Amino acid sequence: MSFLNPILLAGLAAFLIPLIIHLLNKRKVVTVRWGPMHLLHEALRQKKRNVKVEQKLLLAVRISIPILLALCLALPVLSALSQLPGFDKTSLLVLLDNSFSMRAPGTGGTPRDKARNDLRQTLAGLSRGSDASVILAGAPARRLLPQTTTDLESLPTRLENEPSLSGPLALQDAFQLAQAELPKMATAAREVLVVSDFKWSDWRHLSEGGTLPALEGLLKQEHPPLVTFLRAPSDTESNLAVVSVEPSAFVVARGQAIALRARIQNHGPRAYQDVAVHLEANGARMRSTRVSIAPNSESVLTLSHTLDTAGDQAVTVRVEGDSLPDDNAFSVIIPVREQVNCLLVRGKSRSGPLEGATDFLEIALTPHQSAATTLKDVIRTGVVEHQSIRDKSFEGSEVAILANVERLNDRQVQELEEFVQRGGGLVIFAGPDMDLRWYQEKLYNKGKGLLPCSFNGFGHVDEGQTPARILNQRHTHPAITYFNDARGMRLQDAAFTHWLKFDKIEGEARPILNLDRGDALMVEKPLGKGRVIAVASTANAQWSNLPLQPAFVPLMQRVVTYLATQNAAPQSQLCGSVLRASLGTQQAKSNYELKDPASQVKELTPRADRDGVIFVDYADTLVPGIYELKAKDSPGAEVRRFAFNLNPDESNLDPMPEEAIRTMAQRLGATYAASQDEYARLDRTRRHGAEAWQPLLFALIIFLFAEVFLQQRISRA
Amino acid sequence: MAKLSDLLTAEDLVQLTGLPLFARTVMEGFSTGLHASPHKGSSVEFRQHRPYVQGDEIKRLDWKIFGRSDRFYIREFDEETNLRATILLDSSGSMAYRGTKGTIKYEHARKLAAALAYVLTGQQDAVGLVTFDDKLRDFIPCRTKTSHLHHILDTLQRSQPGGETSLATVLKNLASRLKRRGLLMLISDCFDDAERLLQAVGVLRKQGHEIIVFQLWDRDELDFPFSRWARFENMEKTDDALLLDPAAIRQRYLQVLKTFREDLVEGLRRHHADLVPIITDEPLTEAVKAYLALRMRQ
Repeated sequence: MSFLNPILLAGLAAFLIPLIIHLLNKRKVVTVRWGPMHLLHEALRQKKRNVKVEQKLLLAVRISIPILLALCLALPVLSALSQLPGFDKTSLLVLLDNSFSMRAPGTGGTPRDKARNDLRQTLAGLSRGSDASVILAGAPARRLLPQTTTDLESLPTRLENEPSLSGPLALQDAFQLAQAELPKMATAAREVLVVSDFKWSDWRHLSEGGTLPALEGLLKQEHPPLVTFLRAPSDTESNLAVVSVEPSAFVVARGQAIALRARIQNHGPRAYQDVAVHLEANGARMRSTRVSIAPNSESVLTLSHTLDTAGDQAVTVRVEGDSLPDDNAFSVIIPVREQVNCLLVRGKSRSGPLEGATDFLEIALTPHQSAATTLKDVIRTGVVEHQSIRDKSFEGSEVAILANVERLNDRQVQELEEFVQRGGGLVIFAGPDMDLRWYQEKLYNKGKGLLPCSFNGFGHVDEGQTPARILNQRHTHPAITYFNDARGMRLQDAAFTHWLKFDKIEGEARPILNLDRGDALMVEKPLGKGRVIAVASTANAQWSNLPLQPAFVPLMQRVVTYLATQNAAPQSQLCGSVLRASLGTQQAKSNYELKDPASQVKELTPRADRDGVIFVDYADTLVPGIYELKAKDSPGAEVRRFAFNLNPDESNLDPMPEEAIRTMAQRLGATYAASQDEYARLDRTRRHGAEAWQPLLFALIIFLFAEVFLQQRISRA
Repeated sequence: MAKLSDLLTAEDLVQLTGLPLFARTVMEGFSTGLHASPHKGSSVEFRQHRPYVQGDEIKRLDWKIFGRSDRFYIREFDEETNLRATILLDSSGSMAYRGTKGTIKYEHARKLAAALAYVLTGQQDAVGLVTFDDKLRDFIPCRTKTSHLHHILDTLQRSQPGGETSLATVLKNLASRLKRRGLLMLISDCFDDAERLLQAVGVLRKQGHEIIVFQLWDRDELDFPFSRWARFENMEKTDDALLLDPAAIRQRYLQVLKTFREDLVEGLRRHHADLVPIITDEPLTEAVKAYLALRMRQ
């Protein structure tokens, strides 16, 4: 037997009080010279034996009362009892923060190490027959083991192999998993333990009054579990991180220079001076530079590089100089192509210079060729009249652009649809010669056709009125994000006098750019393996001066390369997401080797999905860096590269104040423990304390009643 | 010489003056007074006829009846006489009890004795005094003179409590010394064996004495108010002591006390004797007056 409040055992000495009072009473006797002694003798003769026994019993009861009270307050734990089978079993569900901020070094180890040690102690403290399960709460949330286990010693070992490189806490997903897991656990005494480093970036939403419906649902169950937040703290606050690397183009031509804009964030109060920044291509260091970053600020630097080999090339920006190296590098994949073919289909021809529907497009897509410079354009354009479209006109092209095309015949439409279904990209510019009824019926076709949306007439600006402009907003579409940077070119300089009013933008269609009059300017819709983008204005200067703006060049280049690379590997992915590579029919015949950033090779076997597309996939992508995929036993085979980076949100190590965590926990119906010791105390009190002191309290009440009863009985004697 | 004011206050005396004391049964007296004498003689008040037995005086024969019925009858008359009252004051050690409120039982007993002597003397009755513990100490025969009262008061003033109680023995001794019948007023706490006491009372009653027992109590003896552990020492014996928790024994003590008092009352009633409880914290004269009022009603 042990005690949770052993200091209160000192109260046992209180048993001396009634004893001393008893002895003092006997000692401090008064002498009474008494007459009717014969009456006293007679009274004593009648009750002498009972009274003496009862008086001794009363003394024993009075001595026992302070002893029982002290024992109650000392919270005895009957550990021997808990060893018996069936006693004190617990089901413990751990929601472990495995976001990579748990790897931040600190005094006494990383939060990850502390959390692991805390869990080891907690699991060791569970009685035999208890079961436990661990849910890794970093995005994407998942179970450590497929089911709960009573082999509690195996869990810490399994956690040793968990690298804690996940993204930000996915609490809602983790608690949803907990909801599904708890009913499978063996005992009714269920407890949910959330172990985290409690960083602002993960918990701010909840701390500022946000809700966690999955936790609320958990606590509304008929037998809700006890929920405890346990902190695994780190004292590291300073951290440098490369949070993004944005290439200037989605795709580059071999030998073409590409600019890489890298953002380096300094989280924390420490200033970094002359920190080395390296640019690496496929793991080999290409060049280095130095940068100084003030506390709590960001530095953006642009590095350029020319890639000489065709194929998917990996480029990494790496910074040196802090103690948490995992987020010091950011990699992107740059598809290097010989060229991207773009077929321009124009409507009615105009005779004047730059009056043709596709004239501006040709210049924008091949600026170097148009300017007769020696630099190389990645895009090669071809121009055809819409009447000239024949079978297999689109073969060899990755992107097709229709500009002010009046209408097409059915055969041409079918050809175009097949092109997009196969993975081609299509851009449709509006124009005054368009047959709107035909477009509505044949190309929109109630949402089933090529057009992403329907039309609802024309928009225009009357004379003297301010022209319509592109709405100034933060762009999320990958083809447009380039224009988010204030230092880039401004799309808002373009003025629109006429435009098509898009309607019924629904289903998979989504607007990419909007006008400030409330109408969409560009709308995108996926179709088959390809995509279609509809533009509400003309590709020449008839309806707007957009083609005259410098921004028109990068805009069109990015739209076209975006469409041309839509089926290529993503530039970069978050660690933990699934690596998936589509394969051609011929490529499906052999197995593949995947080399991860730690140079460990895994063998992958191609599979086919329900649509018959052959692919290989790989889910264990927690380690950031470059993953290389190539056909096995084919020395000269093409290497496909995939970049996986950590979520930059996790780089900010700013911790929540303890009081804020406590308040948040209280609001969410949980208990907060700042350390393992505090949690152990809480846990013991909750799991063991109640079982031992309750019988003692019951006995104490009985003794109190016995005392009153005996006192009354003796006084009546 | 002791004065009445040494024992009784002026207020007591005012209240006691004029209180008549009636004897319920016929007293043998030597002067005519308020009380009927048991001696049948030449009084004017005829009592009864009874058959002649050998030894009766011839002069008391009723010759008229003999003339009518040829049988001898004696003619008896009632005669009024004064009262012979003897105050028996228990002076044993237990009467020295000083209560928690400071009153001493023996002081109260002496006042009572003085008050009774004063009242009886005032109505020309003969008063005597006997003080005793386990044996007779003072014996003052009954007299009617006023100076006799001073003698009694003197004796009361001098007497001090002490020694053991043996009421039964004392009363039996007294029976042999009291030649003439009269009223015996026993002032005592009666802390003796009740059975033996009643036997002695029976003997005295057979001798024709009327007996009134003024049983004296201190409030402590009735309520037993002690709460702390106490050593109870016998006031009459040195080797008798009890160490006990009074609270633990109180209820039982009160039970035994009740039984003791009931037995005594019942026993005295059987012997046609009265028992008047006197409590030291109650006014003395009130108790005497209440008792006398009761006697007059009877």
